[in-house]
Amino acid sequence: MNNRRILHHPVLGTMPERNAVHFTFDGKKYKGFEGETIAAALLASGVRTLRVHEEKETPRGIYCNIGHCFECRVTVNGQPGVRSCLTEINDGMVIESGKRQPTPLKRKEIARHV
Amino acid sequence: MKDSAIVICRCEEVTLEELTNTAKEYKCSARELKLRTRAGMGYCGGRTCRFAIDAILMEATGNQTPDQIPLKYQPPVRPVSFQTLGGGCHE
Amino acid sequence: MYDAVIIGAGPAGLSAAIACAKWNLQVVVIDEFMKPGGRLLGQLHQEPDGTWWNGIKEANILVEQARALGVDIWCGVSVHHIEEVGQGWRVHTNKERIDTPKLLLATGAAETPAPVPGWTLPGVMSIGAAQVMTNVHRVRPGKKGIVIGINVLSAAITRELQLAGGDVVGMVLPPVNPITKDAGNPRKVMQSLLRISHLAPSAFLRMGGKLSRANWMQKLALTFYPKSGVKMWGIPIHLRKAAVQINGEKEVESVTICSVTPDGKRIEGSEQTMDVDFVCIAGGLYPLAELAAVAGCPFHYFPELGGHVPVHNERMKTPLEGLYVAGNITGIESAKVARAQGFVAGLSIAKETIQSADSAIDKHLENALDEVRKIRSNAAIQFHQDIHAGRNKMESIYKEQFS
Repeated sequence: MNNRRILHHPVLGTMPERNAVHFTFDGKKYKGFEGETIAAALLASGVRTLRVHEEKETPRGIYCNIGHCFECRVTVNGQPGVRSCLTEINDGMVIESGKRQPTPLKRKEIARHV
Repeated sequence: MKDSAIVICRCEEVTLEELTNTAKEYKCSARELKLRTRAGMGYCGGRTCRFAIDAILMEATGNQTPDQIPLKYQPPVRPVSFQTLGGGCHE
Repeated sequence: MYDAVIIGAGPAGLSAAIACAKWNLQVVVIDEFMKPGGRLLGQLHQEPDGTWWNGIKEANILVEQARALGVDIWCGVSVHHIEEVGQGWRVHTNKERIDTPKLLLATGAAETPAPVPGWTLPGVMSIGAAQVMTNVHRVRPGKKGIVIGINVLSAAITRELQLAGGDVVGMVLPPVNPITKDAGNPRKVMQSLLRISHLAPSAFLRMGGKLSRANWMQKLALTFYPKSGVKMWGIPIHLRKAAVQINGEKEVESVTICSVTPDGKRIEGSEQTMDVDFVCIAGGLYPLAELAAVAGCPFHYFPELGGHVPVHNERMKTPLEGLYVAGNITGIESAKVARAQGFVAGLSIAKETIQSADSAIDKHLENALDEVRKIRSNAAIQFHQDIHAGRNKMESIYKEQFS
């Protein structure tokens, strides 16, 4: 067990036992717990980067953590645009980070391909 | 610190410099500023940056914040798939 | 068919549902988050009398009460549009469409950013995000962090991070830009902090609270502000330092801070770098009223309530038939005020739904309104100055223009 989880809290108490779930993120195997979000399970495993900006390729992680900013969106079992901060992790989930997308209508992009 | 280093709209990566210059040059409304720079037009619908955009506009144009919301909200306020909008499966 | 649909399962939405259900209305509460409770879930602070305000417990009390009264609570459901249809409202969600005669918007608040160069790097998050990670998910936002933005909310949450064993090196101001003119100004920030000085376990700040009412005193306090900051719960608060850059290749590695004058001007050559792996951005809160906006509700801008607020009266009615608001969507205040407002909204909805000549409900409504006023007056922390003035202004706008 790593130190990223807060198992004991002076006021909130000790975390109850939870069932483990296994999932993959970009092909790598991870373990999380039932009832937690994808974002929490990944952060607890030391994963902070969830996608890159579709055009600029700059890395992104969680920002607001409550579904407002959409920065943490990932692809879950083939469905893109899923907010990892609001979505519960399930056993066997296949999660992919957001990748750079071709922008064929931009001038720079055309130059790159000519 | 350069204004070109500060991203204001995270979704579309629009900088403070771009927004300030555009607001000053065109004496824009919030809507025009959005259309010219794409700030606030990204995935989050401007939820994160709209306050910043309002503040930049006020600074650049010297106007007071109006009572009606400067940057209009449009439905859907969350991105939805065409399937959901269509009310079910249309395979 | 539901008598009322409530959007938002925070303190306002849940207590509104309870009030409705007590008068035998069938209601459903919809929320995007996986658990009911809203932002109440993350809250954890000590009251002036020493007792703990545990948001998870408070939320559970409301949820259990609501469920016992037969309230339906849908979690993980997003509302993306609402529209007026015939005698009521149509609510579009990612799951299904619901029609209802009465609709309550209790969507709470969203965070305003304090943009800093480098703030898109993974590891940078809003202060609310760190709160939810820590207290709700029980995962640390990182090993060592810094808080950018010094205000009532960020001080309270920084204390929560520390309580959970988090290592926070301190709180600093954001750099001054058009968005952070006030938040980056030491003098203005000090004035806002004086409103919580009575809660601070720091002699310096308590003294500051008494002495610094006069402007010249505040200037003096800021001029001699200790280089190492003033500690509050052991966390250094740097009113004379600002973050200028968040550094890192792929994720946060460090933050560059510099000293500023009492007016927030950067002192060249004072830069120093602190190694951190997470950064919390605290710009404050604004009422999240997007659904009221798409519904066509009139708005008014109130800096003292945190931004643009849908016009409403004390009974939480908007000028649009069948549309109600409660909680932080009506202005930034504490969860206790939101809960009390929700109860008013629920009774208002019940009163208009049953339309009985029974005066019992009027009595309940009067009591609930008194409760809101009492809680507001007794609040230990006020997010905005002049909250009463803002509320009064809203009431007179509604009366003059819409009733």
